[in-house]
Amino acid sequence: MELEALQQIDSEVRALGAQIVVITPELERYTRALHKKLNLTFDILTDLHLKIAEQFRLVFTLPDYLRDLYKSFGSTLDRFNDEPEYRLPIPARYVIDTGGVIRAADLNADYTIRSEPSETLRQLRTLSAAAAD
Amino acid sequence: MASLQERLDEFKKSFESGAPPYNAPHEAIETMHRATAELKSTGIERRALKAGDRAPSFNLFNQDHVQVDSGDLLRQGPLVVSFFRGHW
Repeated sequence: MELEALQQIDSEVRALGAQIVVITPELERYTRALHKKLNLTFDILTDLHLKIAEQFRLVFTLPDYLRDLYKSFGSTLDRFNDEPEYRLPIPARYVIDTGGVIRAADLNADYTIRSEPSETLRQLRTLSAAAAD
Repeated sequence: MASLQERLDEFKKSFESGAPPYNAPHEAIETMHRATAELKSTGIERRALKAGDRAPSFNLFNQDHVQVDSGDLLRQGPLVVSFFRGHW
């Protein structure tokens, strides 16, 4: 749902001179299919073994009992992400300015809670207004 | 169009009802709640990079196996970076 929601604001994001990128531990063969299926106009980047997510300090390890539960659902993270340790990033959305500084961070350890894309647009507008001053 | 959070709430309600199409057992839902509460209690949200921090640079392959460099992107304008756990 996050990807579809981002797709809906992509043209507005571009109109503000900005770009969206999605970073996921998922392997390229899966991101390629997903990108096609959702007709995305921004890139999905594969962060193999969560190297970048680690630098943003977003990585956690699924506890054994949850790993077993997901396996019982047929979800095999080790296959999709080549991640035998079952590590994942918490969901997070960042706005980064052209100087490489984070200007907004929306994150939540509860993966059922996300900030609205309209909030991200508002953050970008604040940024471009400040740049115009 | 419903907001993203409204759609997530709708999905959660449907999933946690235990009804089709997900047929999630009650114990499974309890387990997932427990895991989320434990994860929150680790303080990961406080430790994660936040506004004012310098964003780490990255150079990663996109879905078409083209290398994408964050420095190149930032020369064109600001970035929205979304970390996504995957569709599994």
